[in-house]
Amino acid sequence: MALLRKAGVFLLTVAVASLVVFAFMAVLPGDPAQVALGVNATPELLAQTRHAFGIDRPLPVQYLDWIGGLFTGDFGRSYVTGDAIGPQLVDRFEVTLWLVGAATVVAVLVAVPLGTLAAAKHRKASGTVVSGLSQLGAAIPAFLAGIVLVEIFAVSLRILPSGGWTPPNADPVAFLKGLVLPALSLGLVQAAVLTRYVRSAVLDVLREDYLRTARAKGLKPTQALIRHGLRNASVPVVTVLGLQLATLLIGAVVVERVFVIPGLGSMLLDAVGSRDLIVVQDVVMVLVVAVLVVNLLVDVLYTVIDPRLRRAR
Amino acid sequence: MRNLVIGAVLVGLIVLAALVSFLWTPFDPTQVDAALRLQGPSGAHWLGTDRFGRDLVSQLMVGARTTLYVGVVAVGVAAVVGTPLGVSAAAGPRWLGEIVLRANDIVLAFPALLLAIMFGAAFGASTLTAMIAIGIATVPSFARLARATALQVLNTEYVLAARSAGRTGLAISVRHVLPNIAGLVIVQCSVSFGIAVLAEAALSYLGLGTQPPTPSWGRMLQESQELLAVQPRLLIVPGVAIAVAVLGFTLLGDGLRDRFDPRLEGRRAQG
Amino acid sequence: MVGHRGARLARVITVVRALLALVLVAALAGCSAGSTAYSSPSADSITIGSTAPPANLDFTRTDGAAIPQALLDNVYQGLVRLDANGAIVPQLATVWTVSPDRRTYDFQLHPGVTFTDGEPFTADTVKFSIDRVRTDWTISLKSEMDVVDHVEAVSPTHARVVLKQPSNGWLFTMASRVGAMFAPNGVGDLATTPIGTGPYRLDRFNRGDSIVLTANPGYWGRKPAYARVVLKYFQDPTALNNALLSNGIDVISSVQAPDSLAQFASDERFTTIQGTTTAEVVLSFNNAKAPLNDKRVRQALTYGIDRKALLDTAWAGKGLLIGSMVPPSDPWYEDLSTVYPYDPAKARQLLADAGQQHLTLRLRIPNLPYAVDSAQVIRSQLAAIGVTVAIEELDFPAVWLKQVFTGHDFDMSIVAHVEARDIVTFGNPKYYWGYNNPTVTQLLAAADTGTPEQQIADMKQVARTINADAAADWLFLLPNLIVAKKGITGIPPNQVGEAFDLSALGRS
Repeated sequence: MALLRKAGVFLLTVAVASLVVFAFMAVLPGDPAQVALGVNATPELLAQTRHAFGIDRPLPVQYLDWIGGLFTGDFGRSYVTGDAIGPQLVDRFEVTLWLVGAATVVAVLVAVPLGTLAAAKHRKASGTVVSGLSQLGAAIPAFLAGIVLVEIFAVSLRILPSGGWTPPNADPVAFLKGLVLPALSLGLVQAAVLTRYVRSAVLDVLREDYLRTARAKGLKPTQALIRHGLRNASVPVVTVLGLQLATLLIGAVVVERVFVIPGLGSMLLDAVGSRDLIVVQDVVMVLVVAVLVVNLLVDVLYTVIDPRLRRAR
Repeated sequence: MRNLVIGAVLVGLIVLAALVSFLWTPFDPTQVDAALRLQGPSGAHWLGTDRFGRDLVSQLMVGARTTLYVGVVAVGVAAVVGTPLGVSAAAGPRWLGEIVLRANDIVLAFPALLLAIMFGAAFGASTLTAMIAIGIATVPSFARLARATALQVLNTEYVLAARSAGRTGLAISVRHVLPNIAGLVIVQCSVSFGIAVLAEAALSYLGLGTQPPTPSWGRMLQESQELLAVQPRLLIVPGVAIAVAVLGFTLLGDGLRDRFDPRLEGRRAQG
Repeated sequence: MVGHRGARLARVITVVRALLALVLVAALAGCSAGSTAYSSPSADSITIGSTAPPANLDFTRTDGAAIPQALLDNVYQGLVRLDANGAIVPQLATVWTVSPDRRTYDFQLHPGVTFTDGEPFTADTVKFSIDRVRTDWTISLKSEMDVVDHVEAVSPTHARVVLKQPSNGWLFTMASRVGAMFAPNGVGDLATTPIGTGPYRLDRFNRGDSIVLTANPGYWGRKPAYARVVLKYFQDPTALNNALLSNGIDVISSVQAPDSLAQFASDERFTTIQGTTTAEVVLSFNNAKAPLNDKRVRQALTYGIDRKALLDTAWAGKGLLIGSMVPPSDPWYEDLSTVYPYDPAKARQLLADAGQQHLTLRLRIPNLPYAVDSAQVIRSQLAAIGVTVAIEELDFPAVWLKQVFTGHDFDMSIVAHVEARDIVTFGNPKYYWGYNNPTVTQLLAAADTGTPEQQIADMKQVARTINADAAADWLFLLPNLIVAKKGITGIPPNQVGEAFDLSALGRS
């Protein structure tokens, strides 16, 4: 079955990606033990620590041990703090997930109506304005949007916090308040990009024959547009959302910096800064797998929506 | 057509600024002068100075250099590596196509920022690591585009005729495929350029891109933050520059796409 | 065809809904990430923001100023401490006497003091804690206890410390982290569980984000005004500023973006405090390697840098110009900042004399704001005397410590040396700046064992010597820039030691 084949390819890709990540980390210069122990480490202590980290073993053994650990949920222990990486990784992943998810929701909620509007009125002034604005919006880096939003809403108006993170089950109101600005920074820029695709897809639909047929059947223009246009528009929306995930991740890393959000992005940057290589390795792997999973989901969703593609493969 | 013109003008502005900067800038952008700190726009300093007393216009111009440099190398690498890969995936044997597709997926799993962070950690952050990271991350876009378009071209009757006449895959690729996909590759270059500019800005903001004292728009943004309330000009100037650059390249790409796409359709109808 | 599409879309929607539900369930069921939200200020609680979070809570094994700043005098206490003026005052010791030969210190200890794990504080604890420094501590500061010969518990409230030789500096170091008192059964997990006698105890340690302290119910002294203190850490100086401006925190304990001070000064919600610190921002030279092993080159660089302009540009003019490794709070302070006036011509002459007219030097700095900003100014100024400076930003602390501090792989660097009385590092040829002057080493030793008057004279001589040798270029003394909400009192204006005394805070 095509689905099984896709799953198989996915697993193979993950395996190769893990090899790439591991190989990259292995060739990095620097001795984690030296970095962890710092200035006054004696050779014996260094050797001891290297053994404790397991980095004195042959590379293939280290790789298999690491991969095996990942399957059982054991992400190893930080070189810098000695804590188990797993729990913190899960927490951070959850945070990034909320951020990226909220941004996607914002993007879709803004882009679908705006894009449709731009398409429906594409020969009128309002359509051109929306189209132009979306071009401009897509040209702004997400962190710039974040900086400006913080200055306006947090510092000047003081109605939203300038950063920080509350888990949803601890205090839902604070959680939402803290999520608004970062989600907007990421989401609005995404919305700008998405609007153009929605507009393009809906325009295609407007030109299609079957829409005319629907209207001939007696449906009002708006109804026809909504019932058929949006269904058709969902194809590129889903595709683009998937493709844009990588961009969202880029944006999320920087937005986490601006808003002091404890997500995967800041975990990665901190680990790189403190040369905590095992954490870097784990976080990179998680991000890579996340991207691959989303690609897989989009792939599957795509074939579900558009039957033509099922046959093409 | 309108997109093309606006895009070309914006891009032209940036390129002009960068080129002129090689010959002349109003001031040395790295020259620190305590007495001139945080001045507003004036006759001598058209956009004012930053907190080191450095002239903003000069920083913009040399920063344009950095931006274009990163974009050209990154997109160049991606196009030069990705396009042949994509074409050979389409024209060559089935297994080659599969491998290229899978390799594409793997590279796609490493977003540009992630690669740049990894390279920065390994080799020390610099413009070079940023360029190479962005370049590698952009290869899949070109490979995918080249493959998809090449497949279309290869299925035209014109090419099928050439094939049955005994022409080799390589000859067909060079004579028929490349000229036809050239247009779309150029479009992709333009679009990817815009993305590369954004990526470089993000990297410089994080401190993982161009190192001081070389001017860079992303770092100008980062330095402007602590003075945002008192001197918003320091944020607006590089922000607008980045937006103009990205907008310019994206519009240029859109405009070029409008020009090249119908032509391909036309060919297909003829074939 | 329309019907087909509808069915497919319905399926898509079902799939998406299921996925969303899955994600939501996982998220809500998953363990809480731990709040990093800015706590809302209340009558009993205060949130203090700063940069550079501590990696753990164990300052016996981890270098850096962040840990003692959070814990010393708040959770841990020593026999003595420094008051706001830098004078040594009683803490766990109520009074002490020094023998005529200045080698024996007799401390009367406060009775009825217990650690937060219930153990009593007695003279035996003093012996345990001081002995421990030599056996269990790994940071370089441990050598301050090498001068101790032995410790006696004369009675539960009388501890006697006998030194191998007189030491002027020893009691002063007892006020720093090295003098902290530890409970014999409370040292099992110092990295996450500090057990001390102070007015606060640890409530939560959110690594990289915050430390939450609550009032110690069994404290022997006066209860602090704030029952709960949250020390919140920010990687980014702007985020720190924004947090105060948007009401997320109450105090910024150290403003790292001095240009932004103007915002706070003009805002009537806040008070700004500008004091001094013991943190010298040093442009260090690698004295052990060419070309900086040549005194003329070092002096040329010092003449070639306009430190006033540097301070104005890099740190908004806030801070003090100093000429040596001595802050004004030290008894032997002399203003040596005018010994090397800005003189590019003289600088060029010295370089020519040394045969180094076209020098290229590597300035390898930590990626901290004051270092990055100063480096840009220095590069620009030295270019004017023919010296090309290549700036390299290194991650701090990991990479900078490894390559510059341990590996000595640098020509110049810029780092703020925060510890009090750290001029003594110039007596150690193995310290990273590789300055080797036996005269200075002898003077420092004599200063420590001599009478207080001799100490002052000798230390002045040390300061003048390293200044004359241009062993380093002291760019400026970091100012103590604090911003607090109006109504918060008791903030120490000057940073005189490693501790930030939270129990002194109050409200008006």
